[in-house]
Amino acid sequence: MNLPSKVLAIDTATKYIYLSLILDGKVIDSVYQEGSSNHSVTIMPLIEEILIKNELVLKDIQGIMVGIGPGSYTGVRIGVAIAKMIGYLNEILIYSFSSLALLATASDAENIVAIIDARRGNAFLAQYEQNSGVLKIKKNDILMNLDQFRIETKQPCIEISEGKPDILKIIKSKLYQVVSDVHGLTPNYLQITEAERNRAL
Amino acid sequence: MIVLGIETSCDETSVAVVVDGKTVLSNVVLSQIDIHKEYGGVVPEIASREHVKGVTLVFDQAIKKAGISYSDIDLVAVTEGPGLIGSLLIGVSAAKVIAMNYQIPLIGIHHIAGHIYANNIERSIEFPCLALVVSGGHTELILMKEHYDFVKLGETMDDAVGEAYDKIARILELPYPGGPQVDKLASLGMDIYHFPRPMIDTDDFNFSFSGLKSHVINFHHNMKQRNLEIDKANFSRSFQDAVTDVLVRKTKSAAIKYQVKQVIVAGGVAANRGLRAKMQDQIQFVPVYFPAMQYCTDNAAMIAAAGYFKYNKTQQADNMYLNADSRLKLN
Ligand SMILES: [Zn+2]
Repeated sequence: MNLPSKVLAIDTATKYIYLSLILDGKVIDSVYQEGSSNHSVTIMPLIEEILIKNELVLKDIQGIMVGIGPGSYTGVRIGVAIAKMIGYLNEILIYSFSSLALLATASDAENIVAIIDARRGNAFLAQYEQNSGVLKIKKNDILMNLDQFRIETKQPCIEISEGKPDILKIIKSKLYQVVSDVHGLTPNYLQITEAERNRAL
Repeated sequence: MIVLGIETSCDETSVAVVVDGKTVLSNVVLSQIDIHKEYGGVVPEIASREHVKGVTLVFDQAIKKAGISYSDIDLVAVTEGPGLIGSLLIGVSAAKVIAMNYQIPLIGIHHIAGHIYANNIERSIEFPCLALVVSGGHTELILMKEHYDFVKLGETMDDAVGEAYDKIARILELPYPGGPQVDKLASLGMDIYHFPRPMIDTDDFNFSFSGLKSHVINFHHNMKQRNLEIDKANFSRSFQDAVTDVLVRKTKSAAIKYQVKQVIVAGGVAANRGLRAKMQDQIQFVPVYFPAMQYCTDNAAMIAAAGYFKYNKTQQADNMYLNADSRLKLN
C-alpha cells in the first residue's frame, strides 16, 4: 500500500497540534505546537500557513493521514472533522492512525508505553516494542487506571506523554489504515459517554 | 449570490443552499431527536459525537439536492454561537475547510439572527420590524430598523419560554420534546386554573418565567398530594394561556411604541399553535408573520439567509481564526 505523493498528516488528540507535510515519502515540513484548549481556532490557520510556506494549496493534497484518538474528545473530533471534510471535498483517501501510536513515535526506546491523560487517575494508553525504528503493538489502545497498568506491567518500559512525533515511523511500521468510507469515519473514543453509562445502570 | 449555510449549534446537523437570502435550493437537517429522547434532553457529548459522524454526509446531500457544485458557492455562512460549544465547533471547522478549499469568503452568524431571518424566506422583512424570539434558550424582543441591525428591547430575566415548556411537559410526564405536546394538549383544554401572568403590566419589555414555572410545579404537587385529579389538557391550557398572554401583551405594546411595519416571531416556540393564534388575534394593526414550520426549528437555511444580509451589509468576511462562542451576544 503506497501513499500518494502529497500527504497532509493531522493529529489533535493531545494538547499539541501536530501537522506534517509528506512529499514523496519525505517529511518536508511539520508543526508541533502546544495549544492549551484552542485547537479549533489555530488548526486551520496552521494548515494554511504550512501550505503557503511550501507553495501548496489545500486542493493539491492527495491524501490525508489523521489521528483518530484516543485522547481529548473535543480535540480529536476537530482533527477528524477536518480530515473528513478535506477527504470528502477533494475525493482523496484518508488514512487513520492511533494518536497513541503517533505519540510513541517520539521515543527511541525499545519498550514504550504511550500515555494520554484521561483524568481521575485513568489514561488512554498503548504499549509498543521498537526495533530499528519500526513499532510493533504489544498492547492495543486501552482506557485504564494508570497505577493499575504500572503494577500489572512487569516489563520495564519508557513512558511517553509528549514529544515531537515522527510520522514516518507510523508509515514504516504500517500502523495506519485506509478509511473505506469517508462518511463513516468517527473518532476512537474508547468509551461510551457518561450519559450512556448511567443509563445502562 | 449562492450561500452555503451550516448550523450545528445544538442537536441538528444542518446544511443548506440558499440564493440571495430567499430561495432555498436545499435544506438538509439530520436530527438527533430520537437519540436524545432517551435521556429526556440533549446530552452535549452525544450531540458532538453525532455531528462529527454525520457531517460530510449532510453536506453531500445538501449539495446534490441543490444541484450545484461547491465551486458555485459565493459565501459560506456558519453559526458561530450561541449554543453547545462542542457542537458549534464541528460546524465552524467544516465551514473553514470549505472556505479554504474553494477560497470562498466565510462569515460567522449569530444563531438568533438566523432564527429572525427564517422570516425572510417566504416574504421579505420590512422595517422597522419587531421580532419576538422564543425558543428553548431565548425570550427576547428585538427591534430592527434596517437589515442586520438588532436592538434588544427586552429579554427574559431568568428562564426562556421553551425551558418552562419543557419543565411543564416533564411534570406532566409527556414525551420529549415536550413543548409541542403541551401545545397539542392545550388546544383540547380550558384555562380553568388562571396561573399568574408574571410582569404582564410592567412598562419594560422584559419577561420572567421562573416564578410561573415554580407556581405551576407547586400547584401540580399539591394537587397530587391531595389526590386530586389533574386534567392534563386543562393544565396545559392554563399554563399556555399564562405564557402567551404575557408574550402577546408585551409584543403588542412594543409594536405600538416603535410603530413597526411588521411583527415577526422566530425560534422553536414560533411553531406553537396557541401562540400563533393569539398573536394573529390580538395584534391586528400590523401584520404578524411566522416562519413556515420547517424553518421554526434549527436549520441551516436561516443561517444562509442571515449570512447573505450580514455579508451584504458589512462586506467583511471572517478569517481562519473564526471561533465558536457558546455565549455569543447578538451585536
Ligand atoms: Zn434555535
